[in-house]
Amino acid sequence: MVQIKMPPKPIDNSIGYLELKNNNIYCSKVFLSDLGYSAKNKKISLEFFLSNLIHKDDSHQFRNNYFSFIKNNLDFRQSMLIESKGGKYKEFVCTTSHDNINFSNHRAKSKFLFFNKRKYKTNKKVKKNQFYYKETAEMTSTGSWYVDLIKRKSYWDQQTRRILEYPEDYIPSINKSVSYYPEEYFDLVKKLFLKCSIEGESFNSEIKMLTKNNREFWVKVKGKPVFNDKKKIIGVRGIFQDIDETKAKELSLQRTSNIIASQNKRLFNFAHIVSHNLRSHTSNLSLVVELINATESKEEKLELINTVEDIASSLNDTIEHLNEVVTIQTSTNKSISPIKFSESLKHVKISIGQIITKNRATINSDFSKIDTINYIPAYLESILLNLITNSIKYKHPERDPVIKIRSYVENSKTVLEITDNGVGIDLEKFGGKLFGMYKTFHYNKDAVGIGLFITKNQIEALNGEINVFSEVEKFTTFKITF
Amino acid sequence: MSLVKLKNSQLLKSLSNMNNKLIELACIIDDDDIYINLVKRVIETKKLCENLITFKNGKQSIDYFEALLQNLDNNKIPDIIFIDLNMPVMDGWEFIEQFTKIKNRFNKLITLYIVSSSINPVDIDRAKSLNSVKDYLVKPIVINELENIFNVNESV
Repeated sequence: MVQIKMPPKPIDNSIGYLELKNNNIYCSKVFLSDLGYSAKNKKISLEFFLSNLIHKDDSHQFRNNYFSFIKNNLDFRQSMLIESKGGKYKEFVCTTSHDNINFSNHRAKSKFLFFNKRKYKTNKKVKKNQFYYKETAEMTSTGSWYVDLIKRKSYWDQQTRRILEYPEDYIPSINKSVSYYPEEYFDLVKKLFLKCSIEGESFNSEIKMLTKNNREFWVKVKGKPVFNDKKKIIGVRGIFQDIDETKAKELSLQRTSNIIASQNKRLFNFAHIVSHNLRSHTSNLSLVVELINATESKEEKLELINTVEDIASSLNDTIEHLNEVVTIQTSTNKSISPIKFSESLKHVKISIGQIITKNRATINSDFSKIDTINYIPAYLESILLNLITNSIKYKHPERDPVIKIRSYVENSKTVLEITDNGVGIDLEKFGGKLFGMYKTFHYNKDAVGIGLFITKNQIEALNGEINVFSEVEKFTTFKITF
Repeated sequence: MSLVKLKNSQLLKSLSNMNNKLIELACIIDDDDIYINLVKRVIETKKLCENLITFKNGKQSIDYFEALLQNLDNNKIPDIIFIDLNMPVMDGWEFIEQFTKIKNRFNKLITLYIVSSSINPVDIDRAKSLNSVKDYLVKPIVINELENIFNVNESV
């Protein structure tokens, strides 16, 4: 280890500082004389400093910095205005460390804040403009940035640093830009930036960014090219605006609107189903009645009355199916509880054990990635039951059914996938109707066309989604996103 | 498919010889067995045509018509078709689309009616926009209505 030798400088004379010790603040002589005070009132309180000396525009930020420094040892650097004796404000830069001094020997228990006078005083006009700029920037949470394409350097203003939670003296760098954005936005940001710096196309987009503390938040980012006299692009200038709050509201509104839209769609669909499916029975009924009236023969009349029985029974089936659908819609607030996929599958296997054995079906499951889900247990079983029986029902005539079931997490949502090696389905032809009521697509005697309809309704009632992928003669995969 | 030789067909034939030519073959495409049986009864009771051929869905019937093209037999080509819209495997719309492509090759006027329980205006408008569809009948079909249709087509 290299020992750095520090020239033992008399602290009190050369620089302005505040010594923070046992809840008291001591001013150095230099600091006091800089401000025009005599050396007598060395000890001051934080409250006094905050409310009487420091400019009120800077005091809030200073207070935050001060406490993070005291409590968490977070270094900071802040420029501020401090009132001198005559009532005039002077510009200082306050830092938590000082390059030329080493206090470690004699004042180990103290912490220090150093105050350096600014070398170049900001002139009045600039100060005034800066005030308006600062206010606007703060109130709209908008920071600006500049990327110099010639020097390959990037610059941030204080507001950008504040939004991104970087310290005041942080120097951004083009090489570090990957740490400013979550991975999924790299490509977009790169594309926007390149298009701007090469083709001169301005951009305006909403993206997510990462703060220094790795917090993700929504930002509106705008950028435009900067040209030199020869109309060559030499840089890109733009702003970041923190829109996290608005975006969160927007997204939640979007979600609500999606839910309403899907509920509305389901209701509409249901009304259509009710009207259509009930109508087909009632129209048969009215035709029978008309026929009974039109027929003279007693024998035929009796025969027709038998038909009424058939109609009644199929009407009954339809009502039962509709009832099932209504129950789904109304029971979504029913007991949602943690349930294991493996457990649910076990129950299903037992209840259709005979069908499985008879068809020599193999069911392979892998729930190693995620096995537990918060769901209505009866629905999960019903979904598994419907999809498994479906796979067996539409097995390929030349091979025994093999059904693979697995669960995993995608975009922080639980996904269940059920794949079979059955006959498959022509999605181009039937995709749109696959989940409709009484839609069947195969020449199959047992096809009723209710299973997938119920399954879809159950999933959607709990805001999930079901998708299907298939290739005729090869496989069908149902993917449920919970 | 089922081909039904209707009762009293001899009688019907003699009747038809006296009047206009009676419709010989009607075709119903519908997945509702009860409905088919009832219409069959109406046709029998009212002696509306000689033979009736029925299919459970569009696919079955289009297969029939395509096979018929290979070996045209006038007696097997229906004069009139009643088709439902909502059917499994191949629905009414798809049947109409496929049938329209081949119907001119039969050298026979085949009148097509949609008979559906759908009262959805979208369906009705769509049906009306199709040249190949003569009319859209909403179930329940009334006996009188059916009689009229057969009579109109008879005199053509």
